[in-house]
Amino acid sequence: MPAIVVEGLERAFGEVLAVQGIDLQVDEGEIYGFLGPNGAGKTTTVRMLTTLLLPTGGHASVAGHDVVAAARQVRASIGVALQEAALDPLMTGRELIRLQATLQGLPPASGRARADGLLERVGLTHAADRRVGTYSGGMQRRLDLAAALVHEPRVLFLDEPTTGLDPVSRKTIWEEVRDLNEEGTTVFLTTQYLEEADQLADNVGIIDSGRIVAEGTPEALKGEVGNPHVELLVGEGAVPEAERVCAGLGKLLPPKDGKRVLLEVANGAADVPRVVRALDEAGIAVESLELVRPTLDDVFVAKTGHHLEKEEAGGGDEEPAGA
Amino acid sequence: MEAAAIPAWRTNLATIAALMTRAKNELIRVPGAAIPGVLAPTIFFLGLNGVFGALTQLQGFETGSYESFIVPVSMLQGAGFTGAAAGVNLARDYEQGWVDRLLVSPAPRWVLLTGNVLAASLRSLVPATFVLAIAFVIGAQWPGLDGLVVCYLMVAATAAVAACWGSMLALRYKSQAAAPLMQAGMMALVLFTPAYAPIELLQPWLEKVAEINPMTQVLEAARQGFVGGVTWADTWPGLVALAGLLAVLGALALREMRRTNA
Amino acid sequence: MSDLATTARVVRALGARSIRQTFRRPQLISPIVVFPTLLLAVQTGGASAGVELPGFPPVQSFLQFMLAGAMMQSMMLAGNSGGIAFAVDIEMGFTDRLFAAPIPRFAIVLGRLAGTAALGLFAAVWFFAIGLIFGAEIEGGVPGALLATALVTASALAVGGIGAAIALRSGSASVVQGLFPLVLVVLFLSSAFFPQELMIEPAKTIAEYNPLSFIVEGVREPIISGIDATQTLEAVAAILGVVVLGLVLSARALRHRLRVG
Repeated sequence: MPAIVVEGLERAFGEVLAVQGIDLQVDEGEIYGFLGPNGAGKTTTVRMLTTLLLPTGGHASVAGHDVVAAARQVRASIGVALQEAALDPLMTGRELIRLQATLQGLPPASGRARADGLLERVGLTHAADRRVGTYSGGMQRRLDLAAALVHEPRVLFLDEPTTGLDPVSRKTIWEEVRDLNEEGTTVFLTTQYLEEADQLADNVGIIDSGRIVAEGTPEALKGEVGNPHVELLVGEGAVPEAERVCAGLGKLLPPKDGKRVLLEVANGAADVPRVVRALDEAGIAVESLELVRPTLDDVFVAKTGHHLEKEEAGGGDEEPAGA
Repeated sequence: MEAAAIPAWRTNLATIAALMTRAKNELIRVPGAAIPGVLAPTIFFLGLNGVFGALTQLQGFETGSYESFIVPVSMLQGAGFTGAAAGVNLARDYEQGWVDRLLVSPAPRWVLLTGNVLAASLRSLVPATFVLAIAFVIGAQWPGLDGLVVCYLMVAATAAVAACWGSMLALRYKSQAAAPLMQAGMMALVLFTPAYAPIELLQPWLEKVAEINPMTQVLEAARQGFVGGVTWADTWPGLVALAGLLAVLGALALREMRRTNA
Repeated sequence: MSDLATTARVVRALGARSIRQTFRRPQLISPIVVFPTLLLAVQTGGASAGVELPGFPPVQSFLQFMLAGAMMQSMMLAGNSGGIAFAVDIEMGFTDRLFAAPIPRFAIVLGRLAGTAALGLFAAVWFFAIGLIFGAEIEGGVPGALLATALVTASALAVGGIGAAIALRSGSASVVQGLFPLVLVVLFLSSAFFPQELMIEPAKTIAEYNPLSFIVEGVREPIISGIDATQTLEAVAAILGVVVLGLVLSARALRHRLRVG
């Protein structure tokens, strides 16, 4: 049975249709990445699937329960870590997880044991009896994640779990998500970070302006928009000669800045040695070489005409540091 | 792991207790947090006594001690402030996302509401006791044990009523901007009664309002020990009034809680 | 444009902003309008038999007597609300924007006070309207009403200065908000709500010397009997005293704020 089934799901706020009839399916044990820019409808979708918002059209079921007709059963089956960490600064970490255990209906002894175990798992044992208000952003996210796991949910919803975190904290969260998934938890993850979806998700749904514009595995999606290309920085004045040499090795792409040769290669890294050898035999010095693969942003541009992530002034991607 | 390995009633009680424990953190862990809730009714009590104390010279007052006459008003005012504050805290929790944590759990909505309301009810006993202690110091009449019990019962239940009112508004407007409405509503409910003078001495318009205001019965029940003796005839109307207010406002608050995802 | 004209323009703009802020946020307008009106209704309805007490000044009605007290309450709470709003500006960093602008520092405080004074004016007009609607007569006629309104407006300016000083000194809205009980204490320990001669000790003695009592009597006299030069001068003197206190405290607090940032 799929963990999440969504059919024609809609949510209107007055005249505004924030989610416009989306369809998706998430299998048990999968990590599904829901990728889109701010305002695309990711959080609205998550709030409907977690019963915090009623759909105004369509249907959805989570863990086999309808989100409207069987909302309470859905809540008993899911763990949720929302975009805002939703923590009480006056409570200690231990108190908060124990409260969550009580809310989920765990017997007191089980709740205490689970709290201790989870605090250790997310590396917060040392801070367990400190007030949450003293925690760093990364610690708060880890605590939020631990609270979402207290009842061993079948499906875990993470709404932008690493937004605002430093690279180290982000990496910690990613590792935890992978571990959970290996233990069998289905994860529905929303993110605006390409690399996060790329690194974690088995399947990715790309949402823009309330509609799913693309869906598939990261590799399959990227494969749709084209092959990788090689960027070669050659000496000044050598570009025309280098282009002549490379012309037979792949498809030349429009030049970027007059100093680089861009060559699309069908076989990716396997074609690189041929290119280097050919240039070397022609006596052309290669100052630097980079194999550039299509990104999910390229997929997004192909589908929507605009970028998912803003470029920094002067160009370049703004992807977070990788694992 | 499936929830409810234990009976539902025990889970519900545990959840209510956990939410009440959380509510008490506000009093205990924030330095000075209890002070405004205690100060305001105390200042009103002392101020009103100092300003209007001479009214007892008028015919119609059952007592020559204005502090005895007015202390139940201040205790009920304190209960109103405390309950309204519970509503403001709920609105703040909503703004900060905490309420989502509660709403996404399988706990029944009435359980979530009851935790908030019972916490306010208990908390109201603090300012009530402080005001009462001050009243005794300046000469208020001892109401007798029965009068004291009835008075405290009225106070705690009034705080619950106020918490239902505040929670309803918090869940309706989802913003602390609704705080003045929470406070003003309770203020009007408590003061549009024979708060300052016996009903016979009120202006005709206020006399009419007080006659239909259920809080009048609550005030008279709370006041009886301080101005005379406690009788069942003066107590049961207050209990009925509170039961009615709780039923109506509780239902409205629960309705709003169920509609948070609309 | 001359410096004076520029300063006036800045004060007007900041004053307009503080008025808009108040009317757009229920938490700020409610203490100025809703609570004092509620209390006026309750106290008038509940304690009006007090006019029969020996020693109560001759009045047309208890409402007529209470109007001045309601205006004072509103005015004091306007000063407190203005202080809270100013402290919020400091917490949010908005005052840094003003300090970084090429405007005189005192204009920033004056702008806030102009807003508070405008709220005092509003309070006077509001309660005069309430009084007239419910049958109270203004014995001093239009001149009396204008005098009372001017005194309330000036008091708001004075009290606003103290609120601004506390905001500048503390930089914290919760500190200013915590002074709300003190406002109530000052009000109750004055003749705002009942004749000072009929109050109970020790409130009676404190009210005799409370500057607010002089201001209240100055506002009340034109309403219940007509303009009295002595009462008016005493009220003006009390207001000036509070103005001076507010100015001194504000100036020192402003220096402190500029020093600590």
